[in-house]
Amino acid sequence: MNEDEQERMKKLLQQALPPVEADGGPSRDLWLAVLRRMDASPAALPWFDLALVAGLLGLAAFFPASIPVLLYYL
Amino acid sequence: MNTHPYLRAYLAGIFVPTLVLPLLLTVFIVVRIVLQAPVPIEQALIFPMAVVPSIFGLWNMLYLWSAPRIHYPIGLHGAVLPLLLMPMGALLATSLGVLAIGSHGVTWFQACQIPYTLIAPCFLAALVGYYLVWKYIVGFLNRVLGIA
Repeated sequence: MNEDEQERMKKLLQQALPPVEADGGPSRDLWLAVLRRMDASPAALPWFDLALVAGLLGLAAFFPASIPVLLYYL
Repeated sequence: MNTHPYLRAYLAGIFVPTLVLPLLLTVFIVVRIVLQAPVPIEQALIFPMAVVPSIFGLWNMLYLWSAPRIHYPIGLHGAVLPLLLMPMGALLATSLGVLAIGSHGVTWFQACQIPYTLIAPCFLAALVGYYLVWKYIVGFLNRVLGIA
């Protein structure tokens, strides 16, 4: 195969195969965005949810047999 | 680029049951091998291992699909799930011999006696637990994965 044929084969291959860069994944590092979202999440619980947590803990403390039953459904 | 939001919703949904399952397995093994209690571990693990994680994942996919159409909080969406899961789990547990129905109450795992008067509080506790898990853990994961 001479140089002309090689060049022609190269062009044919380039025309046949789609460019890889078109869907090559994200153009930037997404892990920093994930970290920002994790830091931006609110940390404080509202009083209503705290009361619900206290109720759950109270039920588990006064009636420990309910713990494996509740875990069975998680 | 296809970001596969439903796949991410499924993975966020199965996160909690996948973490709880080894804990549950450890409890059952300790109770059966160390404390020598006759817990039917093989039958008891079918529901939490085979059913619950898949339903959590599918339920989160359903939330992702329905949230833009019906605006409601994810905690409420999660609190509805025990209405579906508890009858299914109780039916499967009864058929596998994990749950026995008696005259004064039910017996789970041939070891945990629960009188009928405490079934309603346990059901409410499941609703509360699911509400909190979905609001704070699944909701957090949905935000982290960019689908909330």
